[in-house]
Amino acid sequence: MSAVVEISGLRKSFGEREVLKGIDLAVAQGEVVCVIGPSGSGKSTLLRCVNLLEQPTGGAVSVLGVEVTDPDVDIDRVRTHVGMVFQQFNLFPHRTVLENCTMAQRKVLRRGASEAEEVARRNLEQVGLADRADSHPAQLSGGQQQRVAIARALSMDPALMLFDEPTSALDPELVGDVLSVMRDLAEAGMTMIVVTHEMAFAREVADRVVFMDDGQIVEQGSPDHVIGNPGEERTRTFLARVLDPTHHHDA
Amino acid sequence: MTSPSVTMPPGRARMSPRKRARYSRVVQYGVLVVIVVAVVMGTDWSNMREQVFNLEAVQKMASDVPYAFVNTVKYTASAFAVALALGLVLALMKLSSVRLYRIVATGYVEFFRGVPALLVVLAFAYIVPVAFQVRFSSVTVTIALALGMVSAAYLAETLRAGLQAVPKGQVEAARSLGMTSGQTMRSVVIPQAFRMVLPPVTNEIVLLTKDTSLIYVMGLAVPDYDLTRLARYTLNNVAVGGLTAFVVVGIAYLMITIPLSALTRWLERKTGSKGHV
Repeated sequence: MSAVVEISGLRKSFGEREVLKGIDLAVAQGEVVCVIGPSGSGKSTLLRCVNLLEQPTGGAVSVLGVEVTDPDVDIDRVRTHVGMVFQQFNLFPHRTVLENCTMAQRKVLRRGASEAEEVARRNLEQVGLADRADSHPAQLSGGQQQRVAIARALSMDPALMLFDEPTSALDPELVGDVLSVMRDLAEAGMTMIVVTHEMAFAREVADRVVFMDDGQIVEQGSPDHVIGNPGEERTRTFLARVLDPTHHHDA
Repeated sequence: MTSPSVTMPPGRARMSPRKRARYSRVVQYGVLVVIVVAVVMGTDWSNMREQVFNLEAVQKMASDVPYAFVNTVKYTASAFAVALALGLVLALMKLSSVRLYRIVATGYVEFFRGVPALLVVLAFAYIVPVAFQVRFSSVTVTIALALGMVSAAYLAETLRAGLQAVPKGQVEAARSLGMTSGQTMRSVVIPQAFRMVLPPVTNEIVLLTKDTSLIYVMGLAVPDYDLTRLARYTLNNVAVGGLTAFVVVGIAYLMITIPLSALTRWLERKTGSKGHV
């Protein structure tokens, strides 16, 4: 199994502040990796360095065999194969749901109108929103918008999907629909990196869980190991806060 | 501390808020009535009827108003086309990563915002043709370039603000789908910025409409007259009631600018308050 993503010695600073302090991580074909950790630990920055929404300050990132940290890389071509789903959905509000899913297919992949529409409708069907193709994003609930965002990314036929806290902006009752779409995707064999606070999802769907704190990977392994029986003190403290937020635990 | 009783603060008894609001309204209407009566009483109506509301003078200029109206609209539209194209280029230059572009755009904006439009029109009428050995094919081209370049300076700032007001996540979403920065600009950022800048851009068209009156400094042939030039011409060529011409063209200007505002409101409604609905 070849690595879809290979990260080595990745560093990223915003001004004086170093957010990523040397990350090494490889993600294999078909693998689902969940990244967990306290806010400000650098999880989102790590994800955004994979498709170069953030420019790393050091180290190397290679995606699908292409070194994206090479200054002369055609990043637009690499991004075509890497779908990304954002916390705030970021659907295009001036376009319909269908147009959201066809725009990049037409402009980037140069697909014809009918082919693009067919692909878009198939993916909207998959996320359970075939009937909302002609709606505008503002007419949908947060959960529906996020599922459209997933369909939009899938319409590019990506080899890798990045999820940046996809359920953090949702009302609690809408989280389930989005997670179940993601679970289906994982079961279909998609390679995924998911930054999330949903421990139940990570435990059930992830092949590997990565715990990050203070810009470093503290611990990684199977969900049963990292979430069920963490070896590191920092992981235990974090999980105690997340899983049992109302109880006060003394260290 | 636990006592439920409340002592009202001391002080003289005041009018209730309802009574005070009514009193205030009566005073405001009163002021208005006094002003209107003073203006009406102070006006010499018989003189006004002869000089300013003279129907004979209206009849004399009636046949000229339509083409002057069309000319004003034509000058405005062509100047706006230049202003929009150039203003967008300047706005993009201001946002460019190339520092020289930003400097040039800033210099342009500062210059054309700081110089009276009248001077720019004069320059295009008399200096530019000499300096570059060009002859503009028509008055429309000259005025479109002169006013368009001035207006572009104002539009550049408006458009830049509109482009920057589109959330960063929109750009990130488009780029993460593999779209180039140009495609992102054209398909995602500009369409959304358009809606936000609609009201200030309309404002700019209204200002342009009125600025076309500056064309008088160019020395026009009669068929090229705009509304204001026509009014001045009428003033000099009728025996009495020449001032009526200004009332007529004033109304004509409003016939251009008021529908424009209505159009903007309609466009705003059509594009919805949050993107599209």
